[in-house]
Amino acid sequence: MAEAGRSVKRFYLVLGVIALAGIALIVRAALSGPGAPLVIADCGGPPLGGVSAAGQVLGPDSAPVKITEYADFECPSCARFAILTMPDIQQRLIPTGKLRWQFMDFPLQQHENSPLAHVAAACAADQGRFWEMEYALYAHQDDWFADHRPERKFLDYARSVGLNPDSFRVCLTERRHWPTIEANRCTGEKLGVNGTPTMYVNGRALAFTPAFDDLTRIVDSVAAAAPGRAPAARR
Amino acid sequence: MRHRMAAAALALVGLLVSTYLLLYKLGVLGTIKCVGSGGCERVNTSRFSTLLGVPVAAYGVAGYVVLLAIALFGLREDQVALPRATRWLVALAALGVLFSLYLLALELFIIHAVCLWCSVSGAVILAIFVVAAAALPKASPAP
Repeated sequence: MAEAGRSVKRFYLVLGVIALAGIALIVRAALSGPGAPLVIADCGGPPLGGVSAAGQVLGPDSAPVKITEYADFECPSCARFAILTMPDIQQRLIPTGKLRWQFMDFPLQQHENSPLAHVAAACAADQGRFWEMEYALYAHQDDWFADHRPERKFLDYARSVGLNPDSFRVCLTERRHWPTIEANRCTGEKLGVNGTPTMYVNGRALAFTPAFDDLTRIVDSVAAAAPGRAPAARR
Repeated sequence: MRHRMAAAALALVGLLVSTYLLLYKLGVLGTIKCVGSGGCERVNTSRFSTLLGVPVAAYGVAGYVVLLAIALFGLREDQVALPRATRWLVALAALGVLFSLYLLALELFIIHAVCLWCSVSGAVILAIFVVAAAALPKASPAP
């Protein structure tokens, strides 16, 4: 009987070791960084995966004023612009039909979490929520830019903007749109973009980051000078 | 007694595997370590990864907790000689094996992806069933 008691005690000890080892492995998995690291490549070679550039667009292709913005989700100036100005652009300028706004990814080398944030936004675009995700990423920039495993926070934002979290997570884990993001960044590099945000109005670089009033003036003057009449305002 | 120790150890392993899958499903773990090309993600994010609104992995966690508790209860001095705990282990493990077969069929024929960790869990529950069934009394005691 005493032998049986010792045997059970030894067994409990082994069981405890198994439990501790398993818990340690799970905690390690929880604390480890995201899957495959995203490396910003040299733009000299052929496009990654043969993919061509494709930004996110607001407004009609026929708009007389086309503004392309190259931005980085970890860039504080981009965040200020997106939070303070972009909502007005969406609500007050885009409906006039005069403006077509294009967002192009430009993750900067020194911003460690930015590539994954761009993938998160592109994954949100798959479900038609790019602009909502863009706003969420910028609004919470301080929360994720130094995070060792930002995927969880991106998943929270995905839920908050109404995405299907499971599809989003698969997309993010697969780093599905990274080749397109790279292509967008390389398009900017070829144009000479070396900081963010950088904006081009009908192909001409803006020397500053405009406030909404500046943008309104720019859009009105360029639209007025454009051949043909600008479309009537839609309200 | 040894079969109950083996069942308890296996149930603990199953509990750890199910907890890992559940934490992934709940988003606590950003990624899941898996062999092959994304089978674990595809299975654990498919529409079959929840049952009645509850993640399937949660059923696994609950099941293994119960199996572990029964196996440990059966190791108590006043229970070691009684067959009751073993019978419960066999009955519950049989249910677990059937459920694992159903999940495997979903993976193979509907989702078309195999989740390594789900297969490990299936093997564990099968092993518990075999270990416990082998220890069942050969014939019922005479009344």
